[in-house]
Amino acid sequence: MAARPRVYRAEGVVLRRRNLGEADSILTVFSGSEGKFEAIAKGVRKARSRMRGHLEPLTRSRVLVAHGRSLDVFTQAETVDAYRRLREDLDASAEALYCLELVDRFTEEREPLPELYALLVNALELLEGGKGASVTRHFELRLLALLGYEPHIDGCVACGDRLPEEETLLSPSAGGLVCRECRPEAGGGRIVSVPVIKLLRFARRATAAEFAAVGIPPEVQRELRTAIAELVRYHLDRDPNARRFVEGVSALDKGE
Amino acid sequence: MPEAGAPEPIARLIQEFSKLPGIGPKSAQRLAYHVLRAPEDDARALGQALADVKERVVLCESCFNITVSDPCALCDDEQRDRTLVCVVEQPLDVLVVERTGGFRGLYHVLHGSLNPIDGVGPEQLRIQELLRRVEAGAVAEVIMATNPSLEGEATSMYVQRLLQPLGVRVTRLARGLPSGADIEYMDDLTLSRALEGRQEL
Ligand SMILES: [Zn+2]
Ligand SMILES: [Zn+2]
Repeated sequence: MAARPRVYRAEGVVLRRRNLGEADSILTVFSGSEGKFEAIAKGVRKARSRMRGHLEPLTRSRVLVAHGRSLDVFTQAETVDAYRRLREDLDASAEALYCLELVDRFTEEREPLPELYALLVNALELLEGGKGASVTRHFELRLLALLGYEPHIDGCVACGDRLPEEETLLSPSAGGLVCRECRPEAGGGRIVSVPVIKLLRFARRATAAEFAAVGIPPEVQRELRTAIAELVRYHLDRDPNARRFVEGVSALDKGE
Repeated sequence: MPEAGAPEPIARLIQEFSKLPGIGPKSAQRLAYHVLRAPEDDARALGQALADVKERVVLCESCFNITVSDPCALCDDEQRDRTLVCVVEQPLDVLVVERTGGFRGLYHVLHGSLNPIDGVGPEQLRIQELLRRVEAGAVAEVIMATNPSLEGEATSMYVQRLLQPLGVRVTRLARGLPSGADIEYMDDLTLSRALEGRQEL
């Protein structure tokens, strides 16, 4: 086996930052090639640090990282996209932060998930381009699918029967839609409307851009958001922190 | 873990020192033995200073800066412009802005910035207190001097949206400050220029 190289390159999105000591930060990066990893950026909080600004959360950067004894160390960083317009829009920032938190919570370190990385970059670009919450809905559903948590929505998850076009139970614990007969044994869930079921199905074959182009009435948006939130909560065993912020921000928009 | 072999009081002191930011076990040990060798008066003065900082330092009920008297000296200063409020993340940032000598208004210390992923929301900061202060009516302009980081910018935009219905002017420090920096590490020239070039949000 070849010796482990001393340094490696990666391109990724900075998910979060933790300050360390006077001027250092530990950054969590999600990259296509390495998956999620943590490394330390020495002196990055000093005014004259060359890496500063290139290693901010919600920045897509190319980095050079050296293996360290306990933590790896960033030696170079160069911005690919700082998503400036996204950052200057409070609603889009909130959606983006929520997506970053999802990635952080759903992934293990050093597990390469190039498809999820492409999905994240695509979602950030669409949010930057002014597409709203639909981008996040598509991202949540595709993330669940890529990680093996896709709900079964083609027929009843319990008995396999075809489902009539009507309101149907979506059960996170059963793993999908449940027919009327199997409902008593489904172990909880929520009844979802026909438009929501159609959107869940559409999200499987649509790109994020195609999904975001669909005009969804506000009440269906809300229902879809709640239904997906329950799937996320079931698989994470908690709500992502940023969800409250997304809701708080949009409540302010509507005048509290 | 108490240091093996060290007598209990010194082991305890080592343990306390090692809780401080940037102090590893070796430095903690060095500091503890330094205190042990120091004259008794010095050691007592250190102990008294530590006790005072918790007992005598309070938060100003108006601006939430740290102070020994409430209201703080800045809020109590009749010469300062009460229609201008500069919003900062940390008490240290007040000192830095004051050092520029370019600002004669009052302050509001949020005690942090929004960090939704880590669960720091508006309710963890002194944001409602700022809203009430502006609602009271004397404030004409709120200057957001949060860090030019993702968290600082989000905080600034959030406050702007929150205050918008009140019709108060909300500005922020001009761009040109390097992204990802702590205001604490910024030089005075950069900061005073930034104050002059503030913009409408
Ligand atoms: Zn069934
Ligand atoms: Zn005060």
